[in-house]
Amino acid sequence: MSNPVNEPAIILSTISKSYGSKEAVVDLSLDIPRGELFAFLGPNGAGKTTTIKMIVGLLQPNSGYVRVCGHAIGLDGLAAKAQMAYVPDQPFLYDKLTGREFLYFVAEMYGLTTERRDAMLDKLIAQLDMSEFLDQLTENYSHGMKQRVVLASALLHHPAVLVIDEPMVGLDPRTIRVVKDLFVDLVGNGGTIFMSTHILEIAEAVADRIGIIHEGRLITVGSLEQLRAQAQREHSLEEIFLRLTEVNDV
Amino acid sequence: MCEAPAIPPSHPQVGLLFRVRARGLWNRICQTVSEAPLRLSASIILIAIIWAGIYVMFLLVFNQLRRSPLEATVALPLVFNVFFAAMLVLLAFSNAIIAYGALFRKDESAYLLSSPLMPLDVVTLKCVESLFVASWSLVLLGIPLMLALAKQVEHGVFYLLFIAFFIAFIPIPGALGLLMAWAAARFFPRRMIHIAAAVAAAIMAVLIVLGLRSLRIDEGATEIWLQSFQQRMGIVQSAFLPNNWVAAGIDRAMYGRFGDAGMYLCVTFINGLFLSWIAVMLVSRYFDGAYNRASSGGDASRRLAAQASGGLAGEIFWYLPLPLRLIAAKDLRTFLRDPLQWSQLVILFGLLALYLTNMPTIRQQFEGLGWFALIPFLNLCAISLILAAFTCRFVFPLVSLEGQKLWLIGLLPMRRGKLLHAKFAFAMTVTLLVALGSMLLAVVMLRIDLIWTAIHVTVAVAVCYGLCGFAVGIGARLPMFGELNAGRIANGLGGTTNLLASVALVTVVLIGVGIATWHSLYLPQGEPPAALDIAICAVAAIVSVAAGTIALIVGARHLNRVEV
Repeated sequence: MSNPVNEPAIILSTISKSYGSKEAVVDLSLDIPRGELFAFLGPNGAGKTTTIKMIVGLLQPNSGYVRVCGHAIGLDGLAAKAQMAYVPDQPFLYDKLTGREFLYFVAEMYGLTTERRDAMLDKLIAQLDMSEFLDQLTENYSHGMKQRVVLASALLHHPAVLVIDEPMVGLDPRTIRVVKDLFVDLVGNGGTIFMSTHILEIAEAVADRIGIIHEGRLITVGSLEQLRAQAQREHSLEEIFLRLTEVNDV
Repeated sequence: MCEAPAIPPSHPQVGLLFRVRARGLWNRICQTVSEAPLRLSASIILIAIIWAGIYVMFLLVFNQLRRSPLEATVALPLVFNVFFAAMLVLLAFSNAIIAYGALFRKDESAYLLSSPLMPLDVVTLKCVESLFVASWSLVLLGIPLMLALAKQVEHGVFYLLFIAFFIAFIPIPGALGLLMAWAAARFFPRRMIHIAAAVAAAIMAVLIVLGLRSLRIDEGATEIWLQSFQQRMGIVQSAFLPNNWVAAGIDRAMYGRFGDAGMYLCVTFINGLFLSWIAVMLVSRYFDGAYNRASSGGDASRRLAAQASGGLAGEIFWYLPLPLRLIAAKDLRTFLRDPLQWSQLVILFGLLALYLTNMPTIRQQFEGLGWFALIPFLNLCAISLILAAFTCRFVFPLVSLEGQKLWLIGLLPMRRGKLLHAKFAFAMTVTLLVALGSMLLAVVMLRIDLIWTAIHVTVAVAVCYGLCGFAVGIGARLPMFGELNAGRIANGLGGTTNLLASVALVTVVLIGVGIATWHSLYLPQGEPPAALDIAICAVAAIVSVAAGTIALIVGARHLNRVEV
């Protein structure tokens, strides 16, 4: 076994997952080095969310294993989760808590001191423009407001690995820009981001590497330049994505 | 960057989870007090009325038992034994259903599982929560029972001891339910749970019906009946069953033997704690695997259920024009595919059916007191109140839930108000099926006279019409189009208005039929009620139909002109 400090932030080793007779993910292997923003692309039902749920320990692979920050999810999941944050595609908040109460709860769960919590919270409230609604019950929030609070909760403890499913859905252009800056900031400080998205412009703009999954199989992975070379064209990520998934369909 | 976390991963966080729950509950109470004081007041008044009714009923039962000291001495501990045995089984199933949803179906579970929390913390939280949600009804039933008993035995300390027995008892079915929920998630594929739960509930209902039917009192042979009763109850009197500990403890306390009662209380309490500890440790140890299994099953049975319910829904509304038939069929499919909806209706009417099948026993107690009029009236009361609860919770939100699809319905070649016809047809179909089914059962079991059968069936249909008209009409007049949560829609201003209107309607109708029943109590069996009494019942039915129709018209007009 390699030294955990030197091993990649996320390791997926030949993982497979099926729902009954349907194979959702097939023999997926992937290493995400520390300090990388990895964009995970694929059509609807390709296996992106299943892969993410296996990374954060919600689902167990039928075969293969997942390691995060040197900890095997199946054996030492708590140690991995303590260094990770997960933002699902449908943000979860407690309806009868205010946004601020929810963020205090998350801070306490991750063991933040009051000073550190307040400092981080002040920064995130300003960056994500949450001051106007943070003291209302979350049941009254729009989808975009919920998404902002959930993002703040994920960044509050400065996670080593951020796993995020469709981060920009429901956000206005201004907030999308802020979130992109937050991601770049996190990665710049050595953090790792595993992001699934349908918005190819965002992957094109911020991702260090891009993986494309189709019908449960990872069909390609590399930087944007490598994908262009593979597609043998000088085109946008959208055209590369359509070409690769189309070829695979044929 | 993969540095040491701020806290050790094994740090227990269960206290934090409970504090968050308490905060959410406090916020909910503050919100209800400030935003829905009317609903809160109505709920408190209704609970007080229910408590008072249960208290009076138990008082009558105990007074009746006191008139026969022999039966009271021998039968009372057995009655408690049977009561707590039934509670043990019912609460275990109730806890299992609630714990399954809380542990394996809620988004919160996914959130907590992806956080650095030990499964033990999550399972402990959900176990206590399920216990609370599943058992409050036992407390609701138990407090008036306790008061009625205390009035008989006149021991002040008995009040406290009885509460302690309830609290010591409920963790036992709670732990059994938790284990059942975990086993269902771990060993049954997804969606098979519904089938397994339905089969288990059906077997339970049959066993309870058969068990209670075997307890019928054989008049005039008290000693034989007591012997027979004791023999039949042998199965629930094992010294190893917790219902026996509780019953024995209550029995000792009633006679002032508090030392013995305390011993039984300790036995119950310690065993409850031990079983809970085993259940929580076992489930948390294997929680990840069960969650994974519950989230990864196949969907074959879902497709099968979808085909079956789809076919039924298409046929049952043959009399409606095509666009309305499609909408009503869609609502019926949603109803059949949502266990929360149909299971509540099945449970409520299952209990009613249980009571009806045992009516011949009760009927003997009312001989000479116009039972042929009184018992059908009590049936009508029960059916009307159950229907009111169902329409307020499940029918009222239907129009509001269409809010986000009104653009689609607006494209159909009809006025929007016509949508209410489909909603009304769906609601009437479901409520009439169960109401008439229950009435038919009552008629068969009690051999009710034709004239009373006609009166009560007519009034029951009118009550269905009125309640469905209210739920659909008020639902369209006071909708919450932006809300997707049916529970919240039912709890809003419109839902409260509908609840109060429905209770008022049922009260008016039942007062009318009650007057006719009262006048007929001392008539010989077979003699028809007076023409005036029949007229009063007819007026009550007409009032219900008229009120429902007016609500539908008002709702349809509003829906036609509302801007969504």
